[in-house]
Amino acid sequence: MFGSFIKKSRAKSPWIMHFDCGSCNGCDIEVLACLTPLYDVERFGIINVGNPKHADVLLVTGTVNHRNKKVLKNLYDQMPEPKAVIAIGACGNTGGVFREAYNVVGGVDKIIPVDVYVPGCPAKPEAIIDGVVAGLAKFAQKVEEAE
Amino acid sequence: MSNLLLLLILLPVASALVCYFVRSSAVRKLTVLGTAVVLTLASLGLLAQGTFEPIAVGSFLGISSDFLITVLDFALLGVIFYLGLKHKSLLIQGFTLAQAALLVWFEVVMLEHDAVPALMGDQLALIMVLVISIIGSLICVFAIPYMKEHEEHLHLKKSRQPRFFFYLVLFLGAMNGLVLSNNILWMYFFFEVSTLCSFMLIGHDVTEIATKNAVRALWMNALGGLAFVIGMMLVYMKAGTLDISAILAAGPQGALMITGVGFLCLAGFTKAAQVPFQSWLLGAMVAPTPVSALLHSSTMVKAGVFVVLRFAPAYVDTFLSTGVAICGAFTFVTCAALAIGQSNGKKILAYSTISNLGLIICCAGINTPLALTAAVMLIVFHAVSKSLLFLCVGTIEQAIGSRDIEDMRGLYAKLPRTALITVIGILTMLLPPFGVLMCKWMAIEAGADTNIFVITMLALGSALTVVYWARWGGSLMGSREQDTRTESQPMLTSLPLMLLCGGAIVLSLASPWIYNSMLAPWLGTAPFTVSFGSLNSTTGSFAVVPLFLALGLGVLFAAKAAAGFRKVKIMPPYLGGANSSTDGTYIGPMNGDVPFAAGNMYLGELFAEGKLTPIFNALAIALIVLMLGGAI
Amino acid sequence: MDTLILVIIGLIAGPLLGGLIAGLDRRVTAWFQSRQGPPIMQAFYDVAKLFGKEKMVVNQWQILCAWVYMIAAATSLALFFAQSDLLLIFFVQAVGAVFLVMGAMATKSPYSQVGAQRELIQILAYEPVLILVFVGFYMVTGSFSLDAVWSQDMPLISKMPLLYLALGYALTIKLRKSPFDFSTSHHGHQELVKGVLTEYSGPYLALVEIAHWYETILVLGLCAIFWHTNVVWMAVLLVVTYMLEILVDNTMARMTWRWMLKRVWLLGMGLSIVNLIWLYAR
Repeated sequence: MFGSFIKKSRAKSPWIMHFDCGSCNGCDIEVLACLTPLYDVERFGIINVGNPKHADVLLVTGTVNHRNKKVLKNLYDQMPEPKAVIAIGACGNTGGVFREAYNVVGGVDKIIPVDVYVPGCPAKPEAIIDGVVAGLAKFAQKVEEAE
Repeated sequence: MSNLLLLLILLPVASALVCYFVRSSAVRKLTVLGTAVVLTLASLGLLAQGTFEPIAVGSFLGISSDFLITVLDFALLGVIFYLGLKHKSLLIQGFTLAQAALLVWFEVVMLEHDAVPALMGDQLALIMVLVISIIGSLICVFAIPYMKEHEEHLHLKKSRQPRFFFYLVLFLGAMNGLVLSNNILWMYFFFEVSTLCSFMLIGHDVTEIATKNAVRALWMNALGGLAFVIGMMLVYMKAGTLDISAILAAGPQGALMITGVGFLCLAGFTKAAQVPFQSWLLGAMVAPTPVSALLHSSTMVKAGVFVVLRFAPAYVDTFLSTGVAICGAFTFVTCAALAIGQSNGKKILAYSTISNLGLIICCAGINTPLALTAAVMLIVFHAVSKSLLFLCVGTIEQAIGSRDIEDMRGLYAKLPRTALITVIGILTMLLPPFGVLMCKWMAIEAGADTNIFVITMLALGSALTVVYWARWGGSLMGSREQDTRTESQPMLTSLPLMLLCGGAIVLSLASPWIYNSMLAPWLGTAPFTVSFGSLNSTTGSFAVVPLFLALGLGVLFAAKAAAGFRKVKIMPPYLGGANSSTDGTYIGPMNGDVPFAAGNMYLGELFAEGKLTPIFNALAIALIVLMLGGAI
Repeated sequence: MDTLILVIIGLIAGPLLGGLIAGLDRRVTAWFQSRQGPPIMQAFYDVAKLFGKEKMVVNQWQILCAWVYMIAAATSLALFFAQSDLLLIFFVQAVGAVFLVMGAMATKSPYSQVGAQRELIQILAYEPVLILVFVGFYMVTGSFSLDAVWSQDMPLISKMPLLYLALGYALTIKLRKSPFDFSTSHHGHQELVKGVLTEYSGPYLALVEIAHWYETILVLGLCAIFWHTNVVWMAVLLVVTYMLEILVDNTMARMTWRWMLKRVWLLGMGLSIVNLIWLYAR
């Protein structure tokens, strides 16, 4: 009984951690907009916790480069299971226009497994919210497969 | 029974002489161990025989014991005066000369030399004998390996341990004599012997700072001795007898006698290092740890509060009583505040000791059955927990070479067993259901009736204690590598530590029965009834045994849950993703490793020792003047 | 026997009520901020989700301290429902608070360490005020026991109004509301990440949250008995108090420990002392 309540609650309480990898801050501003009263993601139970140990979903923006890839991996490792990763914006998905720069490794999925890709430059807040909701569905699926 | 009394007072003297004159360390070790065992058994035997009315002590080799005490008294004053000359201290010389002069006047002119039964054993005396004999013995046993290591550390060629153990063991006999005294002059004599022992032991290491602090302790305690003599004389002028139980039975008897009792309380204040006399106790922390544990936390300073507590019936319901309560509460809150600004482990313990002694004195001043219960039980529980903590700090200091609590961070990684015992010791000083907190609870409940000053100071002091204990306890905890073994300690070190630790817990659990068997008969009206292992009264109740069960089972459950922690995922702490390989280190500027560093908040802008001490000293002097003046 | 039933009710209903109040709190806060906010049951979803997370700790002290915090908070609420001694209830609750701090200090995380120090200063701020409030109870009812309150005809708030205001300071600190939320706060990003709670995660964070619910109900229960004569007025008092708390939380910024200590000690203790002098004078 508690087990099914716990499973249901995972989708109802996704705590996010937002990490700006190498972003120009365009996508980050849009992520921030989601937290404001206009878009109000808290009605889905989403809280922006700053701490990977408390987070379920990792929102990553920007390209990964040789310096911040260690940080990204470290943050991902410090998140307890079950967890999901959402790459936001063109840069996060594939590296965007900066993909061939000498210091850029590429998109987020070069370092950590990504569950949802949210395209855009910058991605719209509605798209980000859509992405998180899709991520929750994948969450539930992952947990089912794990059991 | 008189054999037991003889053993308790005179055996330590004999053992001390053996320790001094026989220079073999094996004989010394055996003597100390043997004395410890005999004292413990004797004190338990005395308890088993129950309370006894004042009995007379006969003569030794044809000389009356009273005369012997008088001779030894003057000899002692002579020795202290000589020490004052040697260290060029006018204060010591002055106070000792004054004491001698007044004593001569008293003995020759005033005293009528009636026979006074010299020793008595009511419940308070028996409890004190137990505290002194058992805890004192454990500390002496601990001192055996400790002093060996201490002298190796100092590279001493000629061992000074004979002198050390002479004064340490002698002191136990003096304390036993003090608490069993029924004759004020005897009490005064043993009081002064403890002053001398304290001086000798503080200055044991013969460094410049040790000598300086020993001299300061001596003049402050000499002042206390002078106050004792003045008080003794004033009380005799009215009461006409040296018999303490007769004086107590008569109760308050007018301004002259109460002033005398006030001076006796002042003597107790100096011995217990109350504000403004606290500097001698803080200075005494330079002495080796067994000295700090025995004299300056569990026993000698308890002699000071014992004097105040013993004479409580003589000033019940007087202005002096209120004054004593206010002075005690003032020390309680000020020393708790001063402890917050300290990072030196022994100084924290010293300030905490003085603070708790202030609480005991405050309870004695409140002078209701509830408060007196709190005072006596606090003496017991504080002695056990505080001596445990001092011994732990001593052990830690010898292991890591520092007594600063910042250096003890994460000690659990290196010395798991000692760190755990220290944490348990800290928790017994701070939290329910343990005895010290129970006594603080009783004190607040008793103080709620008195006046707004006392209760406000008690409330503030209670809050301040949480800060300095909790942060020390927390900083000792840390991560331990999987394959570190528990540290090896000599058995004579770990045995006292574990016995005191277990004793603190078991005694707290047994507090309802201790109350029922010892304290309820001692007080006129018993404040509590015991049922289901709880102490109940109309004003409140403390559920000792139920809480022990609930919290104890809870902690055991939590410990079991925590024991399997290696099966869960172990992760370094969150450091913004910049964790380096080791726990707590992170990658900083220029890709270099930045090691973990932390410090406690000592709130220096509010609680710095230098800033607060002058203000507190001035206020305390004012309060003492108020207390004494109001008695007249 | 009745006591046992009350205790069991308290132990079970306490966290349930506490979670509901937490959810309502977020809902009303959202209304203040012109947005919708999470469903009222959100706190339970949060805790359930946390229980389902992987266990991850820095060392075993977090596990020990999270459990002891919750058990102590539950015990103190049980004692409250058993109508026990107010001072004792407070000291048992302090066991939990101390263990929370110690568990945070056991990790080598700068956020935890500073958060723990700040938490200690918070305890330092509200403890004397609470003790003086209990002394006020004693002055009015003649006992520190809760069951002595029921024999009073007049609501306690009529005799202890200033003490109730002082209790409000303690309530604000205990509920971790601005301006006194610098040790940790509810889902606000702060300069210490999550402060004293940074290294507690997963099931252990859930335990800490449940302990927080127990403590919330305990302090609200204390507020409630100030109007023990009439259930309706008791409810009004609680609702008004809590709404004021939310209002203060939303309008004030987080302040420093110096500001808090000065404010709570001067104003909080000042109010208490004046009220106590009134009671002593009677």
